[in-house]
Amino acid sequence: MLLDTLLGKRLLFLSGKGGVGKSVVGAALALAARDRGMRVLMVEIGSPLEAARYFGAPPSGPRETEVVPGLFTVNLDPAGVMEEYVRKVVKIEMLARRILESPIYHRFFAAAPGLKELMTLGKLLVLAEAHEGWSRRPQYDLIVVDAPATGHGLSLLKVPVAASEAVPVGPVGHQARRLLGLLRDKKKSGLVIVTIPEEMAVVEAVELHRLATEEVGIQAQAVVLNACHERRFSEAEEAEVLRLAADGASGRLERGIPLAGALRAARRQLRRAKLTRFYQTRLKRSLPLPLVALPYLFREEIGPEDVRELAERLAAA
Amino acid sequence: MARRRNPADAVEAALLERRVIVVCGSGGVGKTTTAAALGLQAAIKGRRVLVCTIDPSRRLATSLGLSQLSSKPRTLDLRRFAPAEGGSMAAMVLDTKSTFDAIVMRFAPDEAARKRILGNRFYRHVSAALAGSHEYMAMEKLLELAADERFDLIVLDTPPTRHALDFLEAPDRLMSFLDTSVLRFFLRPYFVAGRLTLKVATRTGAMAFRLIDRFLGLQFLQDLSEFFLAFEGMYDGFKERAARVHVLLRDPSSGFVLVAVPSSQALGEALYFHRRLGEKAMPFVAQVVNRVHPDPAQDEAGRRPGRAPRETRLDRDLGERLAEVFLDQQTLARVERRRIDRLEVDSRERPILVPELEQDVHDLRGLVVVAEAIFAGTTANGRARRRA
Repeated sequence: MLLDTLLGKRLLFLSGKGGVGKSVVGAALALAARDRGMRVLMVEIGSPLEAARYFGAPPSGPRETEVVPGLFTVNLDPAGVMEEYVRKVVKIEMLARRILESPIYHRFFAAAPGLKELMTLGKLLVLAEAHEGWSRRPQYDLIVVDAPATGHGLSLLKVPVAASEAVPVGPVGHQARRLLGLLRDKKKSGLVIVTIPEEMAVVEAVELHRLATEEVGIQAQAVVLNACHERRFSEAEEAEVLRLAADGASGRLERGIPLAGALRAARRQLRRAKLTRFYQTRLKRSLPLPLVALPYLFREEIGPEDVRELAERLAAA
Repeated sequence: MARRRNPADAVEAALLERRVIVVCGSGGVGKTTTAAALGLQAAIKGRRVLVCTIDPSRRLATSLGLSQLSSKPRTLDLRRFAPAEGGSMAAMVLDTKSTFDAIVMRFAPDEAARKRILGNRFYRHVSAALAGSHEYMAMEKLLELAADERFDLIVLDTPPTRHALDFLEAPDRLMSFLDTSVLRFFLRPYFVAGRLTLKVATRTGAMAFRLIDRFLGLQFLQDLSEFFLAFEGMYDGFKERAARVHVLLRDPSSGFVLVAVPSSQALGEALYFHRRLGEKAMPFVAQVVNRVHPDPAQDEAGRRPGRAPRETRLDRDLGERLAEVFLDQQTLARVERRRIDRLEVDSRERPILVPELEQDVHDLRGLVVVAEAIFAGTTANGRARRRA
């Protein structure tokens, strides 16, 4: 079972091309884990729209918020994480405020390459290692990270690689090396590649797999092929649909739906379903990973029931 | 509602007359494909075009049916499209690190400074990851390409930012970081003496630096101060070129094409970007909305004229599923239509709609199909259709 492998990790990163639905897949994965009795945290990084809405909850912001019993969400804003860190180190609020307002902070800390990202990943490290009170039970059994789109998502994961080389000593270098250790630990961390049945997204998924393995050393665990058009007609029915369409068949279906329009819609559906199968095969051939297909949802906005449906699909995979 | 200008005409005119077209949009909206399709169209019409993409995942390569694309302009074979006299198209990928290196090679005041920067640990590991460096290098490259006489038109595809606007604002952030006037004042003691003495003007500054020291350690600060000191002689050049980009992007010979898909998020970004272009006095050309799903109730594309339709009886179960498929697609088309109407009302610009295509676009032929969809609405094409 796919979930068994995935849910054995402490930290799962989701990445893929922009617009493939990483947040929705992340939310469904988090929900599936929670349904198995795990305490789950879903982390977004600088997201304009929050995943909390997928659970019917108001935005959670920079604080971990329980949106469904056992399921927490948090939206980390890298600049905010950085300020929080300064406050923690300086301790005295007035001094911290003066530093945060000083030009040097703005010129250096706020713009320094990768520092915010490193701090954000550092925050993940803290979350991944947090324990509940004095007990040995981890605060979260699973942390699902909705990483920014490929390119940027991968550069986020590459920050500790660069930092551990660029900063040979000091706490940042130390933290970078600890982070890298965590990312490369196959038992604790994994990457889930999200893609859709389209040429560019599939090419990018394959490339993401290669770069993540070669340049970061994080192990890819699975590919989620999102927005799949599934087969809705048997082969005999497909032939019938094509024949009727070619014949210029007309008339009305139930609810007054014009048959000609329905046949056009059906032909489009057949084509998309065929493309879905094509890319599914190609992904299976090019990536040595378990593959889960999730359906395309015809909705105005994805809501909690849809996420629930996807979570059940994941659980059944 | 006032009659709005025809966006397809606007894009067509821009492709024939302007020097630089910048294609912007949030990630995953088909920016690269749109940029390549526009470039191809201009080439077919007789211009010498260069399409430049910054995308690290090298998507343009796929769009152009090439397995690899180099950071040097590579001319494509357009013979089968019979381009107008003189028309040609080249494509290239912008590599941030090597562009940065090339700038250092070219603009460093002397050999010693060049070596100091290129060999600096901070520079080697971090320059490509510097916040905004992709965007900044795209602009540096644009400046260089705009002066390149081998091309009439540069189509610039922009980096895959989460927010479309990052492209315009990131260079300012990088410049602010590289502005050594504040930093060198604090950092000089580290470099010059190699000691931990801090001579800073304010107590807050001293504290901020003690904090940096605690975060990053002395070695890093030394690397960093070395980098900034070596960079000092180049900063003014960077600043001067940034100012030229500023002028170039506002020149009437440049133009912005905004790309989106009919999701609320992407359309929201496009609207915001449109407003900011106005505020920044940058020339807007048009908005393109890709992957618009057709409404099966209205879509005439699949209809074959000249044959009398036949009344048909259907298996009940098949009929039900056909109805479902119809309603799914109709719902989607209507939702998208509402969102696009909102964009039009709010931006006061009619967008160009590119329907979801039957085939994925990943070669030149596919790009021609995209270009046809973009230009289907030009006044000239409208007249041709009416005649036919």
